[in-house]
Amino acid sequence: MRIRAAVSAALASAGILLAGWQSGIHVEDTRSAAASTSAGTNGATGTTGATGTNGATGSSSSGSGSTDTGASDTGSSGAAGTDSGAAAEPTTGAAAKAGGTYAGSVVQTRFGAVQVQITVKAGAITDVEALQLTDDDRKSIQISNRAAPLLRSEVLAAQSADVQTIGGATVTSVAYLNSLQAALDAANL
Amino acid sequence: MNTQLLPALPAGSRDRKGPGSFRARHRRRLFRTDLLTTTAWASIAAAVALWLADGGTSEFSTLAGAVTALGIVTGLAGMDLVLLMLLLAARIPLIDQTVGHDRALEFHRKLGKPSLYLLLAHGLLIAIGYGMAEGLDPVSEAVSLWVLVPDMWLAFISMALFIAVVVTSLVAVRRRFPYEFWYAVHLLTYAAVATSLPHQFSVGGLFAEGTWQRWYWLAVCIATGAALLHYRVLEPVIATFRHQLTVSRVVQVAPGVVSIEMHGLRLNELAGAGGRFFIWRFLAPGLWWHPHPFSLSAEPLQFDASGRGLLRITIRNLGRGSAQLAGVKPGTKVAVEGPYGIFSTAARSRDRVVMIGAGIGITPLRALLESTPFAPGQATVILRGRSEQELYLGDEILELARNRGATVFHLTGPRSARHTGSWLPDSATDAGHRLADYAPGIADADVYVCGPGAWARNVLEDARAAGVREDQLHYERFDW
Repeated sequence: MRIRAAVSAALASAGILLAGWQSGIHVEDTRSAAASTSAGTNGATGTTGATGTNGATGSSSSGSGSTDTGASDTGSSGAAGTDSGAAAEPTTGAAAKAGGTYAGSVVQTRFGAVQVQITVKAGAITDVEALQLTDDDRKSIQISNRAAPLLRSEVLAAQSADVQTIGGATVTSVAYLNSLQAALDAANL
Repeated sequence: MNTQLLPALPAGSRDRKGPGSFRARHRRRLFRTDLLTTTAWASIAAAVALWLADGGTSEFSTLAGAVTALGIVTGLAGMDLVLLMLLLAARIPLIDQTVGHDRALEFHRKLGKPSLYLLLAHGLLIAIGYGMAEGLDPVSEAVSLWVLVPDMWLAFISMALFIAVVVTSLVAVRRRFPYEFWYAVHLLTYAAVATSLPHQFSVGGLFAEGTWQRWYWLAVCIATGAALLHYRVLEPVIATFRHQLTVSRVVQVAPGVVSIEMHGLRLNELAGAGGRFFIWRFLAPGLWWHPHPFSLSAEPLQFDASGRGLLRITIRNLGRGSAQLAGVKPGTKVAVEGPYGIFSTAARSRDRVVMIGAGIGITPLRALLESTPFAPGQATVILRGRSEQELYLGDEILELARNRGATVFHLTGPRSARHTGSWLPDSATDAGHRLADYAPGIADADVYVCGPGAWARNVLEDARAAGVREDQLHYERFDW
């Protein structure tokens, strides 16, 4: 009878583990698929608004203001598209505290990498965008999603990296602010 | 004097089924045993599988991630084992009636060290894995976890408590510390589990929203907590109020041995508990906090249909606590929990039954003989003591055996000096007698053994030599 228990325990455990593993792979697929579709939609919004955004950033680099505020609004949704084009340009003219976007360093944490990018105009931070946030597991994603908007508004209010960390998201906050400081340094702010 | 405790009705009649029913019942019990074993293993597999299902495999892409992932797996398995240990100690009737109280606690003990090792591995691997991801050594990583990550300081305290509980339990068992010390240490387990929970919520992914793990762990944790609360706190309180036991008198049976008789209510519900034990607390100054595990030494005697009646336990002053009990005053209220264990009819697998008891271990057999079903001629009772006076309740057993058609042997005399492996008196050992000589049909019988540890081991050995299989042997320990 002990043999029956051992065999059934082994079979049940193996079956459960296999099922978990299989659905885990499934989750991986859907997650990467979700990531690619979200990237796709980002890209899509980028391309749908591409003419407008590109035109806007293009005009911003030439130095007009009123069109740019419109652009930064749309940019908050489709920033990933804008930075690739825009980030390269200001770095050349960074020394002059010119407007533009500056990416901070990538900070590794135990819950994943963190990187932020700031949008600067006339020596002021007008937007903070998180390019990467702690996302190793769902709990981290949850924490990141809570902390990022709070940190962004604090930074915009303080206009520096000298702000309080978010309770319950210390690791994310510290990494966020470190990356932000690197971006501020790059922007000579 | 004692004969008045013989019940008018043949008690345990609800257990009285036709011959042959024991085999079916035994098969069902073995099936339940295997089912519980499978469930226990499957729960560990499920803990890991659910983590995998929530995307755990992705962590193995880097070395640091792999170490962290192993740390998570060991933590999950450790948590699962700790919960299993709590369930095994929760006195859940399903577990108690399937494997018995003492075997449940044996499994509980066996899980102690593995769960501690898993939790230690969990802490170490996480510190190393996180440290590698951040380029820190494990020690500074542990410090930064303590300082920076919320609730982690509680997890460190929890780990320290778990180490303390397991180490002191192992030492306490070896050094034979008083029961109260061991009990107090075990209360720390609740603190250890409680302090480990916050970091599982805030840092670990166990309860993260939108995961399968969340529901599994919530269900398991709540079920464990509810089982502990119900079976270890509520049930004893309810039983105490239901039965309202009061000591009616204390009778000296032999030097150092007393019978305590208690009257109470609804005792009919306790019929058929012969051989099973209860945990008694005598609510008198200096006594109330000391729990005593004793079996009934007679079926409950009922005065009327509502279950008003008398209970009796017979005890010998073995320990410090038992000695005080001889002086307990009539009128003392008694808190009771139980019955526990399967040293009872529930363990039967055959129609024949052999009961072997020594010294004070005879008394649970007295109650078992009274209630367990057997046809005349199918039961043998072997009583062992240094003298006729040590065969406590021997006269009651003789009378019961006469009424029910059981064979009784009184084996008295000193232990054999030359044969340390013998359980018989030296005269019988010298004559070359074995267990099978007293109970010829023993190979096809349930064998109940109750007595001191070393003696009982010798009996069990003799029974195995006579062809008795492991699942026919039922052994009540006094030294747990």
